[in-house]
Amino acid sequence: MKLGFRGKIYWGFFSLILIQSLVLLLWGSHVMKESMLEEIKSHGVSIGITLSARMTEPLLAMDFLRMKTLVDETADLEDDIFYSFVLDEKGDPLVHTFKDGFPLALKTANIIPDNRKGSMQILDIGNQFIYDYAVPIQVNDHQLGTLRLGLFQTRAKKAVNKIIISAAVTILVTILVAGILGTLLLNPVTKNIQKLHDSTQQALRGNLDVKTAPVLKENCWDIMQCHKSECPAYKNYHHRCWYMAGTLCPTCVEGEYAKKIESCQQCQVYRKCSGDEIQSLAESFDTMTLSLKGNLSDLKIAEQVLKEQKSLLQTILDAIPDFISLQDHQGKYISVNRAFCEMLNKNKQEIIGRTNHDLFPPKWADQYTREDKRLFETGHTLVKENRIVRLQKSKWLHVVKIPVLEENGLVQGLVCSGRDITQLKEVQAQLTHSQKMESVGRLAAGVAHEINTPLGIILGYAQLLLEDVEKDGVIYKDITTIVKQTKICSRIVADLLNFSRSNDSIVTEFDINKTIEEVLEVVEHTFSLDHVKVKRGYHEHPLMMKGDKEKLKQVFINLLNNAFDATMEKGGSIFVDTGIEKDKNNIKISISDTGHGIAKENIGKIFEPFYTTKGPDKGTGLGLSVTFGIIKEHNGSIHVFSPPKSREGEKKGAQFIVVFPCSGLYTKKGEVNGEHSRVG
Amino acid sequence: MKYGWLVILFFFLVPGCGEDESIVKIDLSQKELVILKEDPDVITYAYLPQYSHTVSYTRHQPLIQYLKKETGLNIKQIFPDTFGQHMEMVGQKKIDISYSNPFIYVKIAHRYGAKAFARIVEKTGKDQFRGQIICRADNTSIMSISDCRKKRWIAVDSTSAGGYLYPLGHFMDHGITSQDFTQISFAPGPGGKQEKVILSVYAGEYDIGTIREGALDVVSGKIDADEIRIVATTQPYPGWVYAARKNMDKAVVEKLKQAFEQLDFNQKHHQEILESANFIKVLASDDSQFDPVRQLTARVGLNLEQ
Repeated sequence: MKLGFRGKIYWGFFSLILIQSLVLLLWGSHVMKESMLEEIKSHGVSIGITLSARMTEPLLAMDFLRMKTLVDETADLEDDIFYSFVLDEKGDPLVHTFKDGFPLALKTANIIPDNRKGSMQILDIGNQFIYDYAVPIQVNDHQLGTLRLGLFQTRAKKAVNKIIISAAVTILVTILVAGILGTLLLNPVTKNIQKLHDSTQQALRGNLDVKTAPVLKENCWDIMQCHKSECPAYKNYHHRCWYMAGTLCPTCVEGEYAKKIESCQQCQVYRKCSGDEIQSLAESFDTMTLSLKGNLSDLKIAEQVLKEQKSLLQTILDAIPDFISLQDHQGKYISVNRAFCEMLNKNKQEIIGRTNHDLFPPKWADQYTREDKRLFETGHTLVKENRIVRLQKSKWLHVVKIPVLEENGLVQGLVCSGRDITQLKEVQAQLTHSQKMESVGRLAAGVAHEINTPLGIILGYAQLLLEDVEKDGVIYKDITTIVKQTKICSRIVADLLNFSRSNDSIVTEFDINKTIEEVLEVVEHTFSLDHVKVKRGYHEHPLMMKGDKEKLKQVFINLLNNAFDATMEKGGSIFVDTGIEKDKNNIKISISDTGHGIAKENIGKIFEPFYTTKGPDKGTGLGLSVTFGIIKEHNGSIHVFSPPKSREGEKKGAQFIVVFPCSGLYTKKGEVNGEHSRVG
Repeated sequence: MKYGWLVILFFFLVPGCGEDESIVKIDLSQKELVILKEDPDVITYAYLPQYSHTVSYTRHQPLIQYLKKETGLNIKQIFPDTFGQHMEMVGQKKIDISYSNPFIYVKIAHRYGAKAFARIVEKTGKDQFRGQIICRADNTSIMSISDCRKKRWIAVDSTSAGGYLYPLGHFMDHGITSQDFTQISFAPGPGGKQEKVILSVYAGEYDIGTIREGALDVVSGKIDADEIRIVATTQPYPGWVYAARKNMDKAVVEKLKQAFEQLDFNQKHHQEILESANFIKVLASDDSQFDPVRQLTARVGLNLEQ
């Protein structure tokens, strides 16, 4: 189990006391023991020296009685003196305190070394130890004999044990007292730190409304007798005024902690309310959490705004059909929009942080990297058009790369914007083609106009010749062929003239149903001969519109003839329907057939002049071009569906839907599922 | 080990607790009875216990070593406790060579037949010495010998020459008898009597004291000599004497006599011996040279038998 701060403090504190105590006990007791032993030894030496001095005279006088008295008196002096005896100059005992003879071993047990004034030897007599002291009995430097004194070690042991026990008891009491005092002193500290720790945990869990600082007996408003309830420090029991900005105390310097603390330290409130370092820590922690709470709140708001802005920006960027990317100074992509992702067919995570080489084929990547490098070096803007071929489809892209400059003028990154201009390119191509066709048309019309008169003369004279030759002759047959071919030429010339000439329109209001019916009355009989039926589906009410009725009849004739041509080989049906478009005030006319239909790849070309899939003598390729021109003139539109849109399930046939406005203009474009539209 | 450093620190801080003294194991069961073994052919030498045994030993040990060396005799200094014991031990033949004052000598010669064979020459260069009467320097009541009447007198010993006999004769020469003193005491024994007299006077215990000439030098280290004033000095009498006990082997005595006579103060080694013994020369002597002392004894009425 890991120790907490309090545990560590107490463990450290008691360990310190224990170690110190043990050291003191062992060291102190050792020193005291040594001192005591030294004292005891000194005591023995002292007794020995004294006795030795007193022994000189009787020894000289060989006064055995006095010597015996002295050794006996000395032995009786203290309980721990085991023996005392005197050896003569030769080392033989003269007097001793032993009751039953002198132990021989003692004679040589403790010899005074040369140049020494005494000697102490510990003797092991079996059951205990003896401190044996040998002191010379001498006059001047001449040794008369030796005094020996034996002390039981028991006394020394007892004294040492007493010292050790006393020291141990003293140390235990010291530890106890130190422990109690330490606990009393440490408890508030550890308690406050525990509180601080709890508050930190709370803060980490997100609760920044912590109150760690202690509640004081006297607060700033009490000390200053202040009643300014608008002051942020007023009645704020957990935050000290010197930490708070915007306090209203007259002696207080305005500003935050760093600015005001020096003046606050001179204030009596600070002197009375400021505590020790722990209290200051708790107070500053509370203030920090309070400040953090405010800052976090601001940060959250800012984050929310930023998030919204980012989302808005991303939405805008993603909504833009152009692809947009931002690269950093290393060429890594750091932001892209949806169009960019779609172009690369990757998601954003697969692109961010990657380089050109990660995203593009090596050939393009090298080219793009070279371009980027040049832009980083020059800081110029790059505008270019790229043609990309992928999956056998080609795309044209208009690309603009703009360097993003830092304040110091260095290029920080690149913004790249690109647009798919494939459609524009196609329109441009169509426009060019149209202009070319228009020129061709004008040339053809000019030629037609010039050859119309000679054709009329050729036809007139050919018809006159028919009257002059025999009908059964070869010449008649040849002239008939001339007449027939001339008429074909005349029809071609007439179509060319209709295509090129913009005749003045005679605008009237008429019912479109009736107009179609008038056209059908003319062509229906011809259709029926080839078993082609016309099925009508008119709107129940007359559909009135303004326009050139005759020109519109030409439109319907062309469409019906085309439908007939497509169905006449097998015999089929032609459906003619009229109606009003929902929610739009437009007239809708549908002419569809059950014929062979139009190939998908040809749908886009059918309105082009001189385009035809019919045989050389059946069509000029100008019918639908003329039709389109008339519809355009009436602000209408024509839509082609093959197979027909209105008859689901059928795979053959075609449907032309012509829409005219009843009033005003209406346009529609698009191509879906084989639909092709031309807008007038 | 995580807390190994604590253990190291502990052992670093804690000093060794063991005993560093060697222990000798002995067996006390083997015992012997103490019997004093006397050396054979020992010539005992005793210095009259004028001073403590230690002083006596210190003064005469070099001389004894010299005599042992010169004569080849096994000479051993012994230490009687009192003048009386000294005399008795001469009579008991426990003292072969006696070094004593002339008063003691005339007594042992009279009682036990001791014979003088040498006498010393004092440091003063004289072969005689004197007694001195002392008092405290600040004792204004004693300015002359006559002022000693009615005073408390402490003498060295009733057998002392310089410390009793000679001053007593001096007092009598000045008309002062024993009855004229309020108190006559002798220094308590054994040994150190000269010093005790001086110290008793110095302490004020007695008004006057009598000592042999030169004794003040002995106590000069113990008391301030200026605190003691010499009231009077006796006439000189024969000095200290070496005497052989009765029936002492004459050859031995002769050896000793020759050895004594060979001591030459001018020789460095001899000088140290002589200075230690507190004299400068030893002269051959005989019993007749101590007759003045016998006469003085008779004059003051002292009995040689006492």
